[in-house]
Amino acid sequence: MLECKVLTREVYEALEGVLGPENVSQEPAILDSYAWQPAVNLAKEAWIYRPAAVVLPQTVEEVQQLVRMCNEHKVKYKAHSTGWASWGGPGEEGVLQLDLRRMNRIIEIDEKNMFAVVEPYVCCSQLQAEAMKRGLNCHIIGAGPNTSQLASVTAGWGYGWTGLATSYSGRNPLGVEWVLPDGELLRLGSPGSESGWFCGDGPGPSLRGIMRGWGGSQGGLGVFTKCAVKLYPWPNGPAQVNVKGVLADATTEDVPSTHKLYYLFSPSYEKFGDLAYEIGNAEIGYIHCKGAVGAMFGLLAPRAMRKLLASPATRAILKGFQHMTLFMIAAHTEREFAYQEKVLRKIVDRTDSYILDNSHLPVHGGFWWGVNRSVFPAMAFRPGGAFITSLGSSAEYDCCVRQAKIGEKIKQEHIDKGTFFDDMADCTWGGIYEGTSNWGHLEEIAMFDRRREDQTEEGRTAYLQATTDVSIKNALGFGLSALEHKMYLKHGPIMHDYHRWQAKIKAAFDPNNASDGSHYIPPIDELEKEIEGTNGS
Amino acid sequence: MVKIEDLAKIVGKKQVFTGEQERSAYKDDASFVGGKMPQCVVRPRNTEEVQKIVRLANDTHSALVPCSSKGPRTRGDTVPAVDDAVIVDLSGMDAIVRIDKRNKVAMVEPGVSFGALQEAAQGEGLRVAMPLAPRRTKSVVGSLLEREPTTMPKYHWDMSDPMCCIEVIFGTGDLFRTGAAAGPGTLEEQWASGQAQKSPMGPSQTDWAKVIQGAQGTMGIVTWASVKLELMPRIEKAFFVGARELDALIEFTFSIQRAKLPDQCLILNRVDLSAILGEGAVKELPPWVLFYTISGYEHFPEERVDYIEKDIGELAAATGLSPGEGVNGTSAQKFLSLVEKPSEEPYWKSRPAGGFQDIFFLTTLDKAPGFIRLMEAEAGKHGVSEEGLGVYLQPIQQGRACHVEFTLMVDPADADQVTTVEKLWQAAGESLSDGGAFFSRPYGSWSDLAYSKCPDTVAALRKVKGILDPKGVMNPGKLCF
Amino acid sequence: MSLAELKRDMEGCSRCSHCKWTPHLQIKSWRFAKGCPSVDRYNFHAYSGGGKLNMANSILDQRSELTDAVAEVVYRCQLCGACQVACQAYRDDIDLADVLLEFRATCVQEGFVLPEHLDMIESMKREDNTVGMLKADRGVWAEGLDLPDINRQQVEVLFHAGCRYSYDEDLRGIVRTGIRLLRDAGMDVGIAGREEGCCGGRAYEVGYQGEMKNYAEDMASRVRASGCKTLITPCSDCYYTFKYLFPKTGQGLDVKVLHITECLDSLIKGGVIKPEREVPLKVTYHDPCHLGRRGEIYKEWHGEDKLMRPVKYKQTGKLGIFEPPRDILKGIPGITLVEMERIREYSWCCGAGGGVLEAEPEFSAWAAKDRLEEAKDTGAHALVTACPWCERVFNDTVLETGDELKVYDVIELLRLSVEGE
Repeated sequence: MLECKVLTREVYEALEGVLGPENVSQEPAILDSYAWQPAVNLAKEAWIYRPAAVVLPQTVEEVQQLVRMCNEHKVKYKAHSTGWASWGGPGEEGVLQLDLRRMNRIIEIDEKNMFAVVEPYVCCSQLQAEAMKRGLNCHIIGAGPNTSQLASVTAGWGYGWTGLATSYSGRNPLGVEWVLPDGELLRLGSPGSESGWFCGDGPGPSLRGIMRGWGGSQGGLGVFTKCAVKLYPWPNGPAQVNVKGVLADATTEDVPSTHKLYYLFSPSYEKFGDLAYEIGNAEIGYIHCKGAVGAMFGLLAPRAMRKLLASPATRAILKGFQHMTLFMIAAHTEREFAYQEKVLRKIVDRTDSYILDNSHLPVHGGFWWGVNRSVFPAMAFRPGGAFITSLGSSAEYDCCVRQAKIGEKIKQEHIDKGTFFDDMADCTWGGIYEGTSNWGHLEEIAMFDRRREDQTEEGRTAYLQATTDVSIKNALGFGLSALEHKMYLKHGPIMHDYHRWQAKIKAAFDPNNASDGSHYIPPIDELEKEIEGTNGS
Repeated sequence: MVKIEDLAKIVGKKQVFTGEQERSAYKDDASFVGGKMPQCVVRPRNTEEVQKIVRLANDTHSALVPCSSKGPRTRGDTVPAVDDAVIVDLSGMDAIVRIDKRNKVAMVEPGVSFGALQEAAQGEGLRVAMPLAPRRTKSVVGSLLEREPTTMPKYHWDMSDPMCCIEVIFGTGDLFRTGAAAGPGTLEEQWASGQAQKSPMGPSQTDWAKVIQGAQGTMGIVTWASVKLELMPRIEKAFFVGARELDALIEFTFSIQRAKLPDQCLILNRVDLSAILGEGAVKELPPWVLFYTISGYEHFPEERVDYIEKDIGELAAATGLSPGEGVNGTSAQKFLSLVEKPSEEPYWKSRPAGGFQDIFFLTTLDKAPGFIRLMEAEAGKHGVSEEGLGVYLQPIQQGRACHVEFTLMVDPADADQVTTVEKLWQAAGESLSDGGAFFSRPYGSWSDLAYSKCPDTVAALRKVKGILDPKGVMNPGKLCF
Repeated sequence: MSLAELKRDMEGCSRCSHCKWTPHLQIKSWRFAKGCPSVDRYNFHAYSGGGKLNMANSILDQRSELTDAVAEVVYRCQLCGACQVACQAYRDDIDLADVLLEFRATCVQEGFVLPEHLDMIESMKREDNTVGMLKADRGVWAEGLDLPDINRQQVEVLFHAGCRYSYDEDLRGIVRTGIRLLRDAGMDVGIAGREEGCCGGRAYEVGYQGEMKNYAEDMASRVRASGCKTLITPCSDCYYTFKYLFPKTGQGLDVKVLHITECLDSLIKGGVIKPEREVPLKVTYHDPCHLGRRGEIYKEWHGEDKLMRPVKYKQTGKLGIFEPPRDILKGIPGITLVEMERIREYSWCCGAGGGVLEAEPEFSAWAAKDRLEEAKDTGAHALVTACPWCERVFNDTVLETGDELKVYDVIELLRLSVEGE
């Protein structure tokens, strides 16, 4: 049996005293259900460190009590909402896992001012469903509607299909309720001043900038217990979508007449990029995202993918559709729709691209609903049970296109080595965000099966290193792989020592280093030792 | 205290000013915040000089007060709270470093004014979202750092917009760049890879730019900022909607914001509207006016304007309102021409009485009428008439919140009036704060009001201050420091 | 099959938590978004389908071992299959339901048994039923109906009442009506009376896989003896056992197996049964797990790599019985059928299955209450279903809460329309 660090009897009983015995467990098999974390995990085995115990708080007061106890008894803790991905779990032995499942309320939805206040365990589907009843929508990250809205907005990161209309997760928090690493309570912005939840900034400097940056603290800076999140218009959208089927088989007839999903095919990456810029400048669209032929097969027909891609002729034909844009118009009125479609056709023509409009077919409805609910990306697990992502910095779209081209090349090399499933290196995902901003992202996703001996941890690590190195060498921005695997040791020194500044935040706000910072940063004195150790070796 | 000669070694003798007249210009501003005489004024010319100044301040435990805008300044944030501070006047760093047309972003130094940037942007077919007719000497960087609301809420995605990245010298003397500007790579390398320092987030898991914004110079000195630009419309049609009662106007504003129809969108009372128009005859204007514009861009601009006008028409009909191209003989298009650039002299707020004092805070648009009633009651108590009270409602964050701004018109030469207005300003601030107004930008005594409500925020801010400015050289005595 | 043979399935778990939710494309509200009663009630991740995969994997990896606490998690599960539907919506290589069944079997093999389950197994061994009643009384439900006795004559159709319908006096009217409608429609339908035995499905579910073997053999011989071509049952659990568990264990019956609603629907559409009287009632239909997603025919596939298993062999639950009960209701004049949010293959479990009603009645009632809330939320005045176990637990819960919501079987409403009050 696996022997792991456990809590002392005294601490365990104290936890039971706060929460009741039914909400505390240190049963090894139950703990191991928290230690299974295959996502964002390159290792051969998906097991991460087993927590010392797991607790289920329900109120912010309980969370504060738990955090204070951890500080007092020198026990590290890590909180998660839905707990999907290795950063939700312990980064070392002896960590107390806070499972926030019981904190699952939508506290309020302010329809007029377009925001909702949620607890950690409200999943994006739930929030979107309630928002839609009010003619509103929320941002759902690419990972899917099963994720916690609060988590990606406060502590994670989150690109999404609807980014053109619903921004990026880290730009969507308003007021926040935050149990700091030492157990003190901090309310960011207007809730801290008893003025409502509509603003997360001030008075004066915005502490939202301490809470997160492009990425969040991923459990390393305390616990977020409530968050106001922006809601966005759901133009002429149905209050409820009646669907037959459950995922790939889904069909619906509820697509409004002012919504349409198109497939745009460009002859080159350059034209694909130009098309994106034109769309941003024209202020049209609700969804703009790269489609990927390789991904479509990989996710929707993985067995067929293996057979089809064995044929060079088929590959060549499929490659011709590679520079695909998934684009959706969602207009408030027929007039607006007509205008947007007219502009779209002109732009497509101007960029030597062409449109596929299959809105007259049953498949349109299911796909329309699937992308709006962001349900397809989880299917990246389908070919093999695991995937990693890379590149994908938040950058001007020309730079994103550059990342896509380089990323695909590197990925193909690793596909040829057998590290990943063959998807023609065509699983690039991302679009432009925030209407006219013309910044966006394109990440390269690679699918693998860790149960296979030939798809190795070494191979995956090498791929991640390669994409990181190329990002640095070619100034391609701070990509998705840079948040993990202590990449701050590589990036920090060439980026104004951001890691040292971050580590100072950690030290200031977490004096006892109680909040498990394994996916954030160690406190400054530990970081300095780490740097020294790396330099010495 | 810092030695003048040491400063001169950094910036050159000609950029250090020690005369009483020069120093007095920074001792006070038009606000009620009383200041202390600075030791000197120094005008650095580049980032390197700024960094050396900050390091020197650390070595000598001297206070620095940065300011970017030329005067007259009005908020009290650049007025020294301690004796013998060094004013770091960045207005001479006025280069527009770069305008990237494809990515619609500009990189500007602190001394660049809105007028200069608008002109340069226009040359590329672009425009910058601006506050409402800012004074001509207002610095773009200064405005961005103050989180001043702009008049085009549809482009205001996050509170930090339209600011993107910044280069900042922290209070420690360390240089940092935020957002995508942090790298990897030099700015030139980033430009070569297609980047333009537009993505504001990070680097990594902190957003230092958000901490520098709203800090009133207490955390560091910004040496350039990138600011997002938008396309200059091919057509921009302006409208007024006049109303006796505010509630219908607010409902209508909510509905057009939700459908993302207008570009410019704001509500003024007739006092403010008349001041901007500069035409007098306040009484002929409706008590409340919504101003908005709709635009056509490159593709089928007339058709865009046409469909939006019709869509807005339907929304207006539902509320019983009638948008028009003018109101009581006043042209909305003319108003647009006045607010799409900085204010002509005299600055519009000074026109009615010669001077003014602002009270502003954040709330949600639906709550604005309640705060207006509170303010009117306070004004009444202090004998200040309607004609002396300007009201400006600026939807922000795409309609999710509202900047409420009261402008008290006051003749600075009339001591009694000034005293009355000062008392009103103080009392109204307290009353509004008690009523739930969120003073997110706490200037002067608003700091006490604001921070007394959130001791948790104060404790956290002091930790941050301890990181970025452990020796407390940056604008000491401001905010909660 | 053993737990170890399913290790690859366990290792495929991506920890996405889809197993906890109604399939996300179907989520229509915050309130009715949950799919798994176990994790919704007890909250630790281990209680979810994926969580149980992780626990089993941990035990197989010898990181932990089976204990009373682990067994408690395993048994606090209706085996309703909602987790499998959600998982297999996109995963091809994880047969969650199989893992849960094998986990049960492992618990029993290792001696981690619940006394209530033991009682049930004893009852099955002694008296051929799961409900602790006398075998001698099994045929009492059919007294006075004068039905052909398959012990004495051959029939075209064998009607298997099931344990719940055989003994539950509250529900007797339903099963009597059901078979009468078939007989009156001209069907040559007979029963085994007191010689009918349990299908054994519940034994399999609570981990006594070997026990079901005996009942399957018994059932097969009874079917043969009857000479029937078709086996009809009004019990959803039995239906699932015949359609899925028997073939899965290589003991498929060589006859057509139908649920009574399929049959009645067919007779109505053929004009043989005529629901002509008005039954003015607004109703909502509850899909029983064992008739719906779990009632899907067992799909046999043998291969090394489930990633290469064609989609048509996945037990997605789509081929369960969903339309016939609805069509019956829609065919009754005056009935307005409104749907709950969680229906069809993603229906919320009534709480009774998997041995939970027997061993954890409070948990069973808790799940039932949630379902009744969902039914009331539609504005319906009645909840209609097609399973005696669902009816038992819904009726008990309504009695306890004093709800005005009525609980009916499809057959009851059909009878009202065919025969009147």
